[in-house]
Amino acid sequence: MQPAFPHRIRGQQLWLSPHRCLFWEEERSLILSDLHFGKTGHFRKAGIAVPQSVYREDLLRLLSLIQYFQPRQLLVVGDLFHSRENKELDLFRRWRDDFPDLAIRLILGNHDILHEGWYEAAGITVSQQVLRMGEFAFIHDITEWAPSPEAPYFFSGHLHPGIRIRGMGKQSLQFPCFYFGGQYAVLPAFGKFTGTVSIDPPPDSNVFAILPPSGGEGFRSGAGERGWPVRGRQHAGSDQQAGPGGVNREEHGTSHGKRGNRGPFGAGSIFQIQ
Amino acid sequence: MELKETIGYRVIREWMETQRRQPFAFQEETWQHILDGESGLVNAPTGCGKTFSVFLGVLIDFINRHPDDYQTRDKNTLQLLWVSPLRALAKDIGRAMEEVIVGLGMRWQVGSRNGDTEMSERQKQKRRMPEVLIITPESLHLLLAQKGYAEVFAPLKVIAVDEWHELLGSKRGVQVELALSRIMGVKKGGCSIIGISATIGNLEQAKEVLIVGRAPKTEGRGRSDGGQADAADSGGTTAGAPTREASATEGFIVRAMLDKPIHVESILPDEIEKYPWAGHLGLKLIHKVIPILEKSRTTLIFINTRGMSETWYQSLLNVSPDLAGVIALHHGSIDMALRNWVEEALHDGKLKAVVCTASLDLGVDFRPVERVIQVGSPKGVARFLQRAGRSGHQPGQVSTIYFLPTHSLELVEAAALKAAMHEGLIESREPMLLCYDVLIQYLGTLAISDGFYPEDIFRELQHTYCYSEMTRDEWREILHFITEGGSALQQYDEFRKVEVMADGLYKINSRRVAMRHRMHIGTIVSDAMLKVRFTSGGYVGMIEEYFISRLEPGDVFTLAGRNLEFVMIKDMTALVRKSTAKKARVPSWNGGRMPLSANLGMMLRRKLDEASEMVAPSPRALAPEGGGAGADRSRAQESPVETDIELRVLRPLFELQAALSYMPRENELLIEQIETKDGWHLFVYPFEGRLVHEAMAALLAYRISRTTPISFSFAMNDYGFELLSDQPIPVDDTNVYELFSPEDLTADIQRSVNSAEMARRKFRDIAVIGGLIFQGFPGEHTKARHLQSSASLLFNVFSEYDPHNLLIRQAYNEVMDQQMEERRLRNMLERIRQGKIVLRWPSKLTPFCFPLKVDSMREDLSSEKLEDRVRRMQAQLR
Repeated sequence: MQPAFPHRIRGQQLWLSPHRCLFWEEERSLILSDLHFGKTGHFRKAGIAVPQSVYREDLLRLLSLIQYFQPRQLLVVGDLFHSRENKELDLFRRWRDDFPDLAIRLILGNHDILHEGWYEAAGITVSQQVLRMGEFAFIHDITEWAPSPEAPYFFSGHLHPGIRIRGMGKQSLQFPCFYFGGQYAVLPAFGKFTGTVSIDPPPDSNVFAILPPSGGEGFRSGAGERGWPVRGRQHAGSDQQAGPGGVNREEHGTSHGKRGNRGPFGAGSIFQIQ
Repeated sequence: MELKETIGYRVIREWMETQRRQPFAFQEETWQHILDGESGLVNAPTGCGKTFSVFLGVLIDFINRHPDDYQTRDKNTLQLLWVSPLRALAKDIGRAMEEVIVGLGMRWQVGSRNGDTEMSERQKQKRRMPEVLIITPESLHLLLAQKGYAEVFAPLKVIAVDEWHELLGSKRGVQVELALSRIMGVKKGGCSIIGISATIGNLEQAKEVLIVGRAPKTEGRGRSDGGQADAADSGGTTAGAPTREASATEGFIVRAMLDKPIHVESILPDEIEKYPWAGHLGLKLIHKVIPILEKSRTTLIFINTRGMSETWYQSLLNVSPDLAGVIALHHGSIDMALRNWVEEALHDGKLKAVVCTASLDLGVDFRPVERVIQVGSPKGVARFLQRAGRSGHQPGQVSTIYFLPTHSLELVEAAALKAAMHEGLIESREPMLLCYDVLIQYLGTLAISDGFYPEDIFRELQHTYCYSEMTRDEWREILHFITEGGSALQQYDEFRKVEVMADGLYKINSRRVAMRHRMHIGTIVSDAMLKVRFTSGGYVGMIEEYFISRLEPGDVFTLAGRNLEFVMIKDMTALVRKSTAKKARVPSWNGGRMPLSANLGMMLRRKLDEASEMVAPSPRALAPEGGGAGADRSRAQESPVETDIELRVLRPLFELQAALSYMPRENELLIEQIETKDGWHLFVYPFEGRLVHEAMAALLAYRISRTTPISFSFAMNDYGFELLSDQPIPVDDTNVYELFSPEDLTADIQRSVNSAEMARRKFRDIAVIGGLIFQGFPGEHTKARHLQSSASLLFNVFSEYDPHNLLIRQAYNEVMDQQMEERRLRNMLERIRQGKIVLRWPSKLTPFCFPLKVDSMREDLSSEKLEDRVRRMQAQLR
């Protein structure tokens, strides 16, 4: 598990995980957004062969986060599920049953279109629009919030925020990120089968980019991190082919997955942009 | 059968005489081949009777078979399948064929089938197939998606593939290969395949791709012939079958040999010193275009991009308002009805000029066209010739083409083009290999009609050019992909596409999947485009979503030559109203920018060599001590050639280049290093075209970064490329030959950091063709949205979770073969090794580097550890 990055909001201690979620220490709550569970299954049902291991690894990643942080509840700010019920959600149910003591609270997102009864059976407490807990409140899409003077601090999702950094020589890179404004935060999408939308943060906000272990998603330059998949039929089957790439590669994780340089959950590190 | 002794020939000759026409020798030659049931290639330019070379042959054959009642026989079922890349062509070709049929008093019907064909017409064809069907490759695949397609093709005698040079080398060409393999696979009895092609460098190969293994009456025609085919599978000729063996050398090539003289004339700026070095559209020379338009009946003005053509059209009207009503605009984003109108009007000689893009490269000959103007580089000799051939169709006329440079240095290309045409250096079209995406789509197509047995199809595929080297393993992988969807979570998976039936038939049973597949048949992937409509109704054309997304309501832009005010986006349609505003933005279309061809690049280097010779004050004094260049120089002096007018005009520019930096000789590679406020620039000029330069830039950056951690961005054009960094770039005489060495090229390219990004771009088309991107049914918004994903996201997911997926591999292979043009890159490096590298450190921008400096297309690449880089970028931001 990669170390989390400490950040304080309204006197509360938060830990930002490079696995795309954050831990709220006082309430022992793991806050997540946009998991889109069942999305690969939804595509596959329609004949679009997206690799299902994306979903399996999302579930495994969530499992190891639970083991690491030992939260008493998950607070999901929307889009826990992608679409209608499918067999992938059966797998979720089985996964869920392994944590009978873990509360799951879902603030419904636009993708959460399952029946009420389904959530209930899965032990998920549903909030329609806003959930308030002490200093904090939770909402899926922050643009649907009507500001009021004594507002709590909001945590939201929906956007799948990414931050593009530009440098001299017209260089630029994009990463998934956490956004913390004065009134609200936007979480990165937890699911790996999701894209990012580039945000343009005001200067007084805080933005934390999630850097992959060595290149990877979000790179404009895709810095050869996975090397060149074997070409044609010459070395089909060799899994360790990943070339050294142009990157001075350094592993951040301690555990090496079976895919060579990429750990099973391939997280990198949190980097504060501003 | 001797052609001239047949009754059919006599009938056709007599009809031609009533038309005061004589058959050309190449037509008679082709007719003979058709009577003999042979396959091959007819090499003839547009407007020289190529249609008749095949069509009349089919008629002769029919008349010979039915000498007594050929006029009264009707409902003869499909005799001739005419595959044509452009729907617009169908109309004209059909008209020409119908004239003959009426003239002969026959009762044949000519039908056409393409994206525009009405449903009722298709139904009618289903009941009664016309004798001649003119079809696009996409619609041909749609026919294969119909139940019982084998019957449609059963009586077929000849398949003609028109404009084969255009299809060859594209995935549409692969589609044709696949369709032919299936038709010949299910067909009993012989059938000729005849390609019709303009001149290209690899005619022999073009023929091979079309007919290899598919020539008539060979063995291995699959199981549909009956049980014995298996026995013949080992390669020999089946006893009893006519002994015509398919081989690479089989098939005829008939050459029309109707060379028309072509006259090339450059439009020269009055003062070359004031002509822009880059970033212009050639509009400064517009006043020289007007007199050309005035003195000829009709002129075609070819412009390289749609955006530029809009600007040119507007500018012509501004400069010469009385052209209003007699000039028109024609490009791929303009409403089809409007384009058809323009083509009709061209045909009837009603237009003085048409501003057009490659959209008018193909197709019908417009007889009234007397002059052609090419604005900017045509990028290749073949394309230039084809465009030149658009003018002067009347026999004995000279085709005249004017070349209008958009920047000074481009004038050299005119000289290079002339020389290349003189030497007959025409580009080849390389056929594509192992396109898994097209194959996956094709298998889906077969699975929605009658289904397929993998063994039959695999055997047919082995006889195609594209898939002849596909292994059994790859084939199994493809079948696994379409039936199981690759690796999955067993009991939690509901993948459903192609199902394997009890008897081993592969079939798509889901009606939804089938319907979606039908909507996605094709290999032309366009950018996300929005329809543009007036708020009052009325369709204007298509525009890139990217462009529209940056407009605010009230902004004015031009499309189809009109100024339009953007109102809003609604239901994937951009609503606009007419605007009278003077200023308007010109949309950008990311259409494929062709790279400079290898042939033209070579000629360009040769012409620059002449230019270098011209401006060198005293060559020997400058020659390096005893180097090969000195020897070359003296040789060049011994055989003085008359310098082209273009080079003479450009003399001041060359002198400036020589004074600021250097004028490279043919065997030299010039590298310029300049420091500006943007950073440190390294400019290299191999003159090999954008794509090779892109690969070379990545390679060079990688090699430099092996010794020094450094980040670059780069830009390239057809002449060279630029590396730009925020720190000095360590390239000098000590390491430069090593950096350009062909040693370890393949390995270094594969490690060069940019491969993933290039593959990501290639993957976009592959994902659409391979059926991974779902564009949604009309009127089904919510559900479709849950199935939407970008190709880029899919590329990430596949790269990370299924990196050996066939489609990902294909993306990398396409990068290697097409994007990097590895072979060309290798040739270039060999050339550099045998030549000389000249390094210069100019104090300011030179005529050579200026166009690169303003080129906006840039790539990133880095060899630094990411966090370091981010931190450094941060430091710069503050």
